[in-house]
Amino acid sequence: MADDRTTDIPDADPALFRPATFDRDAGERAGYSDYSYWRSTLRLFFRNRVAIFLLVLLGTILAFTFLQPLLPNQRSATAINLDPATGRQFRNLPPGAEYWFGTNSIGQDLWARIWAGTRTSLLIGILVGIVEMALGVAFGAVWGYVRRADRVCTEIYNVLNNIPTTIVLMLLSYIMRPSFQTMVIAMCLAGWHGVARFVRNQIVIIRDREYNLASRCLGTPTRRIIQRNLLPYLVSVIMLQTAISIPGTIGWEVFLTYIGLGLPVSIPSLGNLVNEGRLIMMAPELRYQLIFPTIVVSIITVSFYVLGNAFSDASDPRNHV
Amino acid sequence: MIRYVLKRLAQSVVTLFIVVTTVFLLMRLLPVEGYLGERYDKLTMEEREAILRKMGLLDPWYVQIGGFYLKLVQGDLGVSTIYRKDIPVLEVIAPRVPYSVRFGLVATAFSLVAGLAMGVQMAKHKGRFWDRSWTVYVVLVNAVPSAVYLLFIQLYGTGFLHVPILFDKYKAASWFLPALSMSLGGIAGYAMWMRRFMVDELNRDYVKLARAKGMTNSAIMVKHVMRNAYVPMAQYLPSAILATVSGSIYIEYLYSIPGMGGLLVDVIQRQDNPMVQALVLIFSSVGILGLFLGDLLMAVFDPRIQFVKGEGAR
Amino acid sequence: MRKILVPLFILLATAGFASPSQEKTKSADYTLLYSGEVTTMNYMITGAEIEQAVAANAVDGLIEYDRYGIAKPSLAKSWTTSADGLVWTFSLKPGIKWVTWEGKEYAEVTAQDWVDSAKYIMTKANASAIGNVIFDIVKNGADYYNGKITDFSLVGVKAKDKYTLEYTLAKPVPYFLSMLTYTTFLPVNGRFLAEQGAKFGTTNKALLYCGAYLMSVFEPQSSRELVKNQAYWDRENVKIGRIIYKYNKEMSTLGPELFARGEISYTPIASSLVDSWLKDPAKKDLVRPSRTTAYTYFYALNFNPKFAAEYQPENWQVVVNNLSFRKSLYHALDRTAAMLTSEPYNPGRRLQTTVTPRNVNDAGGKDYVDMAELGTIAKTESFDKARALDYKARALKELAGKATFPVKIPMPYNASSTDWTNRAQVVEQQMEALLGKDYIDIIPISYPSTGFLGATRRPGYYAMQECNWGPDYADPETYTDPFFPGGSYNKPELAAGYAEANGKNRYENLAAAAKAEVSDMKKRYELFAKAEAFLIDQAFVIPYALGGGGYEASKLEPFTPPFAQFGISYLKFKGQIVRDKAYSTEEYLQLEAAWNKARQAAMEQAR
Repeated sequence: MADDRTTDIPDADPALFRPATFDRDAGERAGYSDYSYWRSTLRLFFRNRVAIFLLVLLGTILAFTFLQPLLPNQRSATAINLDPATGRQFRNLPPGAEYWFGTNSIGQDLWARIWAGTRTSLLIGILVGIVEMALGVAFGAVWGYVRRADRVCTEIYNVLNNIPTTIVLMLLSYIMRPSFQTMVIAMCLAGWHGVARFVRNQIVIIRDREYNLASRCLGTPTRRIIQRNLLPYLVSVIMLQTAISIPGTIGWEVFLTYIGLGLPVSIPSLGNLVNEGRLIMMAPELRYQLIFPTIVVSIITVSFYVLGNAFSDASDPRNHV
Repeated sequence: MIRYVLKRLAQSVVTLFIVVTTVFLLMRLLPVEGYLGERYDKLTMEEREAILRKMGLLDPWYVQIGGFYLKLVQGDLGVSTIYRKDIPVLEVIAPRVPYSVRFGLVATAFSLVAGLAMGVQMAKHKGRFWDRSWTVYVVLVNAVPSAVYLLFIQLYGTGFLHVPILFDKYKAASWFLPALSMSLGGIAGYAMWMRRFMVDELNRDYVKLARAKGMTNSAIMVKHVMRNAYVPMAQYLPSAILATVSGSIYIEYLYSIPGMGGLLVDVIQRQDNPMVQALVLIFSSVGILGLFLGDLLMAVFDPRIQFVKGEGAR
Repeated sequence: MRKILVPLFILLATAGFASPSQEKTKSADYTLLYSGEVTTMNYMITGAEIEQAVAANAVDGLIEYDRYGIAKPSLAKSWTTSADGLVWTFSLKPGIKWVTWEGKEYAEVTAQDWVDSAKYIMTKANASAIGNVIFDIVKNGADYYNGKITDFSLVGVKAKDKYTLEYTLAKPVPYFLSMLTYTTFLPVNGRFLAEQGAKFGTTNKALLYCGAYLMSVFEPQSSRELVKNQAYWDRENVKIGRIIYKYNKEMSTLGPELFARGEISYTPIASSLVDSWLKDPAKKDLVRPSRTTAYTYFYALNFNPKFAAEYQPENWQVVVNNLSFRKSLYHALDRTAAMLTSEPYNPGRRLQTTVTPRNVNDAGGKDYVDMAELGTIAKTESFDKARALDYKARALKELAGKATFPVKIPMPYNASSTDWTNRAQVVEQQMEALLGKDYIDIIPISYPSTGFLGATRRPGYYAMQECNWGPDYADPETYTDPFFPGGSYNKPELAAGYAEANGKNRYENLAAAAKAEVSDMKKRYELFAKAEAFLIDQAFVIPYALGGGGYEASKLEPFTPPFAQFGISYLKFKGQIVRDKAYSTEEYLQLEAAWNKARQAAMEQAR
């Protein structure tokens, strides 16, 4: 029982004091938290200075690959430049004022080729990465969680995994002829089941944890368990995997070009450029043809790795303190 | 458990059958002239037919695949038709396996030891000097295309160390550089994943409790964290070891190691069907076994994982 | 005093005799890399050159070519031809031995060995890839192969006695002697072959040797070693003691480095590296040009277009039958620019304006290429901007209303060859720049190497394509095979407006007339030259280049291997010498000039 003792306090404004009454509903109200998962993730991510730097760098490179053809005085990546003195190809010109990165052995501008190649390779990497992730996560989650599907899915995985990718690539290349689309389709076909297995193994580790048992007891449908219980836990590893798959695809492209199943050199790509440059590693004045593409590949790979790691660190809820 | 193992084995046989038959059919989609070689334009129709008949390619497809399986159950993997004419497949493959396996095992062992140690150290010193330094290494190995740095190591490393450029089985010094090159990628891979899994574990509540209880950092690492981190790593271990049988194509090409790397790519490009079928059979068996052992190993390390229907599982 | 002097003098005299000849025969071992492994060494079934190369050194044939291209007796000491040219009789040298891979004597070489090898090749079940080379020209050979007759004694290969071999031909073949250096006319020991059965030629131990070298080591995908055959009948002429092959798939990248470190004796040098080697003072004397071969490259214009509708094959069919259009293309191709992609230094060395190369055939003191109308074509460069534009104007006028411009020209290329991919781009941009994009639209289309020819040239899925052809024997007839009806090239017999009285195309008639002439070699060659001149003059094809070329670093003395533009003679190591240091370009050019002179002299003598 509150008695009115405001008069005991000198200079107190009675309007400031009101008696508190008992309110049952107010007593049941739970605490308010304005925690948002993604906001915390992004906040943590942007605190990482290296990540910001690389994000900006990568963004610039990406933007530049698309803007470069629109700038003035840019040459086409496939046009052969002629030496005005002889009227023939301007072969193997070292980097200079006229051709910033020099020319290759048939007189094509290496600056334009590198940007065109980066465009092609990044596009392949991103497309393949997205498709692989989509297919892989969906399939892998079902495979990992639904026990009855385990047998069939393992069967499918084993069959797909053991068919040599070389055969698939050779056949696609033969039927569809070497081109951008062929590469993307071939790589998607050959890569998605690897992602599926990875996701499945992660899910297998956590599917029998207590909170999942609890959800099952409560009768939560499978789809919701996968969506709400399992996948968010895996966000950090999935993000890392996605980030790494892009430079992985570029590396795989280099390998395919090495064994002769890649894009023809008339479509510049980082794989072509690196393989071309490899052959002349020992020739000092031609080394620029190897160094420039390798630097670009390295920067892209480094950026994606570090960004991937940074983002997956940030997206781990346990770091959100 | 025994029933589970037997069931998996039976499944594997079915899988192998599907894989080999699919590969067989896919190879038949490749053009016929690939079998006939560089003299194709100068051969008459009858000659082409005679060559294809001798390779058994004119029989209907079910006869061909049936014949392969029949001989397989008798232990005969077939005879190579193009890669090394008229020599049994086993005789072609057998001398090459030891080289790949030897190099592969040494490289795997080295990558595991060095890689795991590196990963642990990186996790322990997260954000500080060692973490950053090893990250530079991991990043470099993954950033620069292996085709480039392997050639670079070969050309400059052999000059620097005065060892022969090409592998020679009689010269002990020529074993070192290829094995080292083979392990570089593995070290980076294991280090990075070990670090990630350990960092994940270090955030757990039980670790906080152990620290609160006063356990030393190294004791926490050894007794709790690493044991839990091994679980996701374990899935890759058997596959990695068994994959040594397939060799590394770059390194074997560069150093002239007569191993298995590149054998599959070679026989596919040359369209030597019996060799392709036999190799696919061998590699698939190895792959399936690796997957199975990986699952078993995961269950061994982590008792919470159950593959067999237990109580409370749906 | 005299008692000591005389023996001393004799000693000194004999010592003086001993050394000079030994110094001359001294040659270092020859080490090299190889990236293509053999699939079999059974020389009776294989058509692959790297496999025939083994037989070139392991087994000798009836004749051989010396370094100037003159045919000399090898295992046959003499031969005669019948008056009608159908029966060739060879008299063999007695006492030639077959030895095993360890050098142990196995048997003597007899005439029956040639009969045995011919029978094996002509037996269909053995699936030989070189069968038609022999069964097409030997009497009853084709019938035996196809099973129409089963008695091999009816076939025109007989061992008259132990050392006399007789070939009876189905029709007169004036170049038969040159065919004897091919693997179809090598002997095999029947008893050994029967013992080995299917294993013959699978390893070095499953072969018998009567040639200059034995294969002492054979480790597939690893290494190979040839050692001098001490029982060889011509051992004094075999100078190199050992030839060591090391397998390496990356030989184009590692070869130059290995050579610079002194670990191998030969390596081809990629054109991109030649620049940097010539600039480096330590390496510039190590590089020299490689010889060209008799492989011919040309751009074929397709008279039987079957390509996809999006490229308008009907339109192409109309324009390709117009002479002015074809000639505009013929004169518009800047062959030097195209050659710069593979031969940046001295591209002219590999270019040729005829289909048949120089130095392959000659009769009556004149090289084939200089005969009849072909002579002017051989000396005139086809690339001519003014003439190209002139013909373009004419073609536009003649084809107005009949064809749509720009004409789409699909030009396939093999994407796995960087050289070819680059060349396709160069040719496309160069020709379009000269003739105008409103006139032609060349579309390079990339194909994988799997089934390349089966997807492009053979079914006619091209309008213009770079093709090649290699000679099978020493006669201009071999260079007419791609263009004669039945060939799988561009089918010029389908060209409109060339039909003659007998309903056949003029080129076919010219070539057939030449083939029919079998007695007067000079006349025969002149008729072939006329046919080829017609082919090129009417721009059915655009001749481009020779094969081979490029640069190498080598310690092997150049111009010493047997000189023959076909067959396997040039793969022999007999007679070659390996020096202790590489040959430079100056030395090479000097030796080339000397060789040319000596060759002229040798050919004069042989006539």
